[in-house]
Order: sequence, then C-alpha cells, then structure tokens
Amino acid sequence: MRIIIAGAGEVGTHLAKMLSNENHDIVVIDPDSEKLQNIEASYDLMTVQGSATSIEVLKEANINKCELYIAVAPSEETNITGAIIAKKLGAAKTIARIDSSEYLLRGHMEIFISMGIDYLIYPERIASREIITLLHRTASTDFMDFSGGALSLYVLKLDEKAPAVSKSLIEMAKKNIKLEYRAVAITRNGQTIIPKGCDMFQANDLVYVITNPSGIHEIMKYSGKEDYEVKNILILGGSRIGIRTAMDMENSCNIKLIEIDKKKCDKINSWVDKTLVINGDGRNIELLHEAGIKNMDAFIAVTGNSETNILSCLVAKNLGVKKIICEVENFDYIGIAENMGLDTIINKKVSAASRIFRFTMNQEVSNIKCLTGTDAEIFEYVAKPDSLITKGPIKSIGFPEDAIIGGVVRGKSSFIAKGNTQIKPNDLVIVFALPSAIFKIGKFFK
Amino acid sequence: MINFKRIFQIISLLLIIEAFFVSACIPFSLYYKGNDAGSLLITAVVTFLSGLFGWFLTRKADKSIGKRDGYIIVSMVWVVFSFFGSLPFILSGAIPSFTDAFFETMSGFTTTGASILDDIESMPHGLLLWRSLTQWLGGMGIIVLSLAILPILGIGGMQLFVAEVPGPTKEKMHPRVKETAKRLWGIYVIFTGIETVLLMIGGMSFFDALNHSFTTMATGGYSTKQASIAFYDSPYIQYVITLFMFLAGTNFVLSYFALHLRLDKVWKNEEFRFYFVFIAIFTLVVALGLYLGGGMSAEKSFRDAAFQVVSIITTTGFVTTDYLTWAPVLTVLVFIMMFIGGSAGSTGGGVKVIRVLLVLKNSYIELKRMLNPHAVIPVRLNHHVVSPQIISNVITFIMIYILILVFSVGVIASLGYNMDTSFGAVAACIGNIGPGIGEVGPAFSYSHFPVFGKWYLSFIMLLGRLELFTVLILFAPAFWRK
Repeated sequence: MRIIIAGAGEVGTHLAKMLSNENHDIVVIDPDSEKLQNIEASYDLMTVQGSATSIEVLKEANINKCELYIAVAPSEETNITGAIIAKKLGAAKTIARIDSSEYLLRGHMEIFISMGIDYLIYPERIASREIITLLHRTASTDFMDFSGGALSLYVLKLDEKAPAVSKSLIEMAKKNIKLEYRAVAITRNGQTIIPKGCDMFQANDLVYVITNPSGIHEIMKYSGKEDYEVKNILILGGSRIGIRTAMDMENSCNIKLIEIDKKKCDKINSWVDKTLVINGDGRNIELLHEAGIKNMDAFIAVTGNSETNILSCLVAKNLGVKKIICEVENFDYIGIAENMGLDTIINKKVSAASRIFRFTMNQEVSNIKCLTGTDAEIFEYVAKPDSLITKGPIKSIGFPEDAIIGGVVRGKSSFIAKGNTQIKPNDLVIVFALPSAIFKIGKFFK
Repeated sequence: MINFKRIFQIISLLLIIEAFFVSACIPFSLYYKGNDAGSLLITAVVTFLSGLFGWFLTRKADKSIGKRDGYIIVSMVWVVFSFFGSLPFILSGAIPSFTDAFFETMSGFTTTGASILDDIESMPHGLLLWRSLTQWLGGMGIIVLSLAILPILGIGGMQLFVAEVPGPTKEKMHPRVKETAKRLWGIYVIFTGIETVLLMIGGMSFFDALNHSFTTMATGGYSTKQASIAFYDSPYIQYVITLFMFLAGTNFVLSYFALHLRLDKVWKNEEFRFYFVFIAIFTLVVALGLYLGGGMSAEKSFRDAAFQVVSIITTTGFVTTDYLTWAPVLTVLVFIMMFIGGSAGSTGGGVKVIRVLLVLKNSYIELKRMLNPHAVIPVRLNHHVVSPQIISNVITFIMIYILILVFSVGVIASLGYNMDTSFGAVAACIGNIGPGIGEVGPAFSYSHFPVFGKWYLSFIMLLGRLELFTVLILFAPAFWRK
C-alpha cells in the first residue's frame, strides 16, 4: 500500500516504524529536516521536507498515487487542511488526527466526510476509552473483546503466588478439559514467545489468554486475580485523557483529580461536574495521602510527563492501591516501568496507531489490536470462502510458527482452536502474531 | 552490539551470487575453446560451497543489522569478493602471482581499471569476461544488487545501502530500498544492453561489445584489447562509448527521470548542469589545444578531446590516445580532471561533482559572509538550503581525500618512484580511474610495482570506491568501543 504520513511527531514516527516493517511504501512529510533524517536513517521509507498543506510538497510525495493519507501533525488545523487538499489531489483515503471531541459528536462527522476526510482520530479519547475498559476488568493488564464478547483476550500478570506459576502448559491443560481458554503467548523479560506444551509459567510473566465467557472464572483462579468493582478513583493529571476519563466515569464512581496548574483546575471544573479537582503536585506524597490514596480502588497517572507518572504510580503501589494505570509515552520507559511492577501501561501512540493500522490491512482483517510492551499484534480475520485457512485442520496447512490461532467465532458459538480444528468459511479467526509473522498470515485468509 | 554471525551470514549469501556470475563466464570459455573453463568451474564450485557452508554455520543468526554491522559488511564484501574473484586468474595460470591476481580483481570490483597485464590479448575469453564482469558488478555495487534480488536483506537493508552508496544527497526513486535498488539495476542493465547493440552495429564482435559495455557502464575501463579503445579506429565506436561513459557518470536517478520523460527535473538539477558544462568547457579547451598543436583534423581533435575528457572525469579510464604525448599544459588539465569524478548516484568514482560544486559554492559564500558579517547566507542546491552539517561533511571528505593522497604519494615515492608516477598512481587508484600519469600512463601497466605497492594501491582503490568514510570508520577506535 502507498501511504503518506504527514507529521513526523511521536504518533507519526511510531506508525512509520510499524508500517515500514510490513512492506508498505511509505513517504513521511514534515517541515523539520532533522526529524526526517532520523527517521530515514532507521526505517525503510522516503521523506519529503516541507509543509503538509503545501500542494507542491504533496505532489512531490506522489499524492496522486497515494492510497492512504494519514495526517498526524501536532496541529489540528494542519491535519484537516492537509487531508482535504490530499483528497482533492487524488489520495484514496484520508485520516486526520484532531484535538477536540466536539468533531466526533453524532452528525458532525458528515461535515468532514463531505470535505474529503474519511476518518477522524482523537488519540486522547481512544486512550480514555481504554482506561475505562481496563477499570471494568481490573484483573487484567490489557483486555479486548471479540465479536461482542464471544471471545476475549485477557493479558494477565502472574504474581509469585499465582497457582499457575511453575506449572507447564500441559499440566494446566489437564485442568481445562472443556478447553474454555488457551494461553497463546507469554512476554518474559521483554521477549514475547509463543509457548509450547512443555514451557513453564514463571512469576512476573505476562500471559495472553484467549477465553470463552465461561472460562473467565477459571483463568482468574489460576492467575490468582479477581475482578472487583471500582468505586473510588484518583486521577493524576488534568490532561485531555484525564479529563475525558473523569467526565465519562464521574456518574458511576467517586473521582478525585489532581492537577498542578491552578488556572487549568478552573478550566477543568467547567467541564466536569461531580469530580473533585485538587490543585497540587502529584509527586508530593503528603498531597496523595490528603487525597485519600489509601482508600482508592484505582490510581490513574496521566500527566504528560512519563517520569512523574511512573514515580507516582510506584508510590500508589507501595501504599496498596490495587489497580494502577500508568500512562507512559516514552517507549524506552515501558519495559522499565513493567519491570518495576507497573503492569497496566497505556500509551496513546500505540492506541492511536492500532486504529490507523486497521486501514492498512486487507478486508479480511476485521479488527486489530496493538499491545503495549510487545511488538506482537492480535488480528481478527474473516476466513474467506476458498481461502487457504479453510483447506484443512490447522496443524496441516503450514501455519507459521511465529503466529498462533487462538480462537474461532462461528455464527453464535465460539471455541478455542486446537491443532485439529477445521476452520470453515466466514468464521472469525483470532490470530496472535509476532512481528515476523504479520506479513505471512495474510495469504491464509485470502 | 556487532552481530558477527549475521555479518558472516550475509557475506556467505553474497558469495553464492558471486559463484553464479563466475559460472556465467564458463559458456564463453567453452565456446572460444580456451583453457580457462576448468579454473572458472573450480572457482564457482569453491565459492558456492564456501557460501553454502558459511550460511549453514550461521543460519540461526539474529536478523538485526545495526549501523556498525552495515559498515563492516560492505567493507568486507569487497575484500572477500576480490579474494574469491582472483582464483580463476591464479588457477588457470594466467596471472600466477596471488598479489597480481588480487590487485587485478580489486581493481575490477572497484571499477578502477588499473591493470597489471602487459598482454591482454593473450588472456583466454572466459577470464576476460570475468574481468569485465567484476567491474560491472562493482559499478552499480554488490550490495545494491543483492538488495534488489535477495529478499532476506529486507531488514537493515537501509544500513547497507547507506554504507555502500554514501554521498551528501540521497534522492530515492521509491520509498523502499529494495524497489530503489531494482530500478537502479534495471536502468543499468538497459543501458548496458543498448550499448552492446550499438557497438555491434559499429562492427564489434558480440564478445567485445559485451565486455566494453560492461566496463563502460561501470566506468571501469577494462578493455579486451591492450591498446584499449584506440584499437578500434572507428569514430562511431568512439562516439558511442563517449556517450555511454557520460551517461554512466550521470546520476542514475536523473536517467530514470529522463526515461520517464521528466526532462525538466534533469535540466533543473544543478549537479548535472555543472557536470555537463564542466565537460563541455574542458572538451573545447583540449580540442582547441590539440587542433592548434597541429597535425590533426578538427573532427579528430574534438573526438580525442571529448573521449579523453569524459573518460577521465567519469573515472572510466579508457584511452584512444596517449594523453602524455600532448602538450604539457593539456596533461596538466588531465591531472586536474582526475579529481572531479562522476556525479553522485552514478557509477563514477573520484571526489564526485556534487562535492566539488558544494565546496565551490561554500567558498564563494564565505567571501560574501566576510563582506556582510551579519548576513545569514545559506548554501543552496537545487533551490534547497544545504545544512551546515552536510557542508562540513563535504569539506571533511575533501580534506581526508587530500591527506590520504599526500600520504600515499609519500608511500609510493618511498618505493623508488618519481613525483609524476607516485602522484599519477595514487590519484588514479583513489579516484578509481586506472591509467594515471608518468610510469602508469596509458602506455604502461601497474605490473612494475613491488608487492607492497600493489597491496597498498589495492587498499587505496577500496577506500576510493566506498568514498573513504565507510572503510576509514572501521579504523576509528570509537567504532569498536562498547
């Protein structure tokens, strides 16, 4: 696919990195030649220096042959203008990143479609949605539903006391006679592997489990976790993510929000209703005590500063808060934060990239999720009639070893895949793929 | 850290490609009933098996390639290729000494064209073709070729590309390296094909036409005749070769645009204009000099001048006339031309036109800056501002080029050669030209150098071909520090 990414900021760079590893023809546009040099030296793509709203520059990037134009510059105005011009110059599909949720309200999208923007993306909103999902699934560090909950992915961190620790997959399978769930991958010390039957679970493993609704209880038992209801939430940081989360949750929970900037506190108060806004520095432990951190069910750190988030989350963890969600925007810190025991990490770049990524996949892919902390991705494929995947049991069609089929949704029923499972046309197939496999699995579903 | 396993693996895989090209010469040696088929076959088999064995040992290597790995791979490949490439010459007894054979092959792969052969016509046809093929492979670049045809180099291909195709500007024809490499080789093959046909129309045999096309497009300069192009007393052949030398010294990206009829892009390119105008002026001056010197028709003066000027500036090194017999001032002009080189993104060597152009521009602007101390005057190329880092890189390149040149002249002179010869040999080797001045002029070969001299010059050729930094960086302590 020919893709133009306008804006070599954090989201743009992350997208360029992900997409260039997957055989797309990518051109990155940015006014800053230094940023472009860095990108060009590291990834297989072409760069054009200049403003993304300049027709000359867009032509230089071969806009007329472009199949997907992604505008992710810092300013909303640039993105919208660029996408409109790009569409008029021949880009097949356009995506623009925006900063205000107003544009996403019902009825407003038509305005943008008529101007030539096919999709608006608001990373902060995606991230806040993600936080809310996670608050409902407190046991898992990451979570995703497939076809309305027929199958789910749980990502679980194994504590030292978890019953599954030091047991092999085969031993665990004996307790799982009805095959309601299956561990498809393990991330251990930053390395993601697809486990074999004799591999052992270890403490501090992040385990990716695909499960039926009926298997959820069992999974919780063996991982030593349980979902509990969140009533009291402390949010650190009046960033867009923090405010959105507070606005969406304040009717069902007690929310306190700490913001360092006095003026911003006033602004936040004009948006939220029941949330208690506290002015102060989240790194001040006394302030956290004052806010009643000990009684909190969840602590969410979403200041723009990754260091502050990590440090305050560690404090909250020491004080015994059960669910901690930490926003880490700096990729290098994600692994470190995980090693320090912060397992639920969100990153708005990864979330936004997941959404945009979907547009680059073929029609066979109906859903996709990129995971923080690993390069692996989860795809939901539709098995086309006569596609390779329907030609025999999974074990005999040469499916790549660096990918695994987790589960299948057929009509209203769902089940976990085994080696002798036969996929039928129009099944929804959940595939967990390491980066090396992503390119290989597409052909099985065509 | 440096991924030695992967480096070893890639070089092994590349050896398999080399084995394929060696074996491609065997049909010619069978057709011409030479005694070289055996040596080519043994080389092909040995190279293939070494590659296969090396790959087998390292098949589980981690696939990542860093910047350092890229520099090591590229520098090593040229040495390893020259080593295996020299085997046919040794095994067949055509060049019995290992030093001589290695020099000849390195001179081939680096497209220098400096030869130790004193009687080229006595070489069997298979070996002659292999000799030309080394230049053809080295011209566009071994790594660029493998990027185009080997899918395994996908990850990290960029690191290798940057190491083999350095230079201050990078114009890509396509977002992906692999596709860029394919297009570059596509144009290269097309031009080589067209030249072969045109030369055959001029009366060359298929074998000679093919060999000369290989070495023209690579700006290499190996000929199948001892007298080089002077052997063919045909103005048509000389004009055809002049034209294709000119094309080979032009940025291939521009040729790509020209083939797509986007001629405005070609003419708007400042480097191309400078290259064209520079060649035009030198040709006219030399032609005038030759004509006024007497004894030659206007056409012959122009033809000899154009051929020799293009041959030296593009660093090809073909000769139709011994320029050392020209008036001294014209010989000096030839010496100056030895330092210009081809355009960036061409197969030509030397300092490269773009660097000369940038330094000239910067020098002029430096004067302007002295007059207007507060003015901010950037260096512009093709209407874009060139960053000070690039200017600094270019000046450093030229500095190092001069330093190496001066040092090497000292080294060669210490072997007992006079000023002319030392300067000529070093300038011709580092610029990948071939024939120099003095005792390495068009009428002589490099066979008279002692063993040390040949090895030293081989090294200089490699430095020049990879544009200094790629090789020199391996000698920096910081490169190996953890």
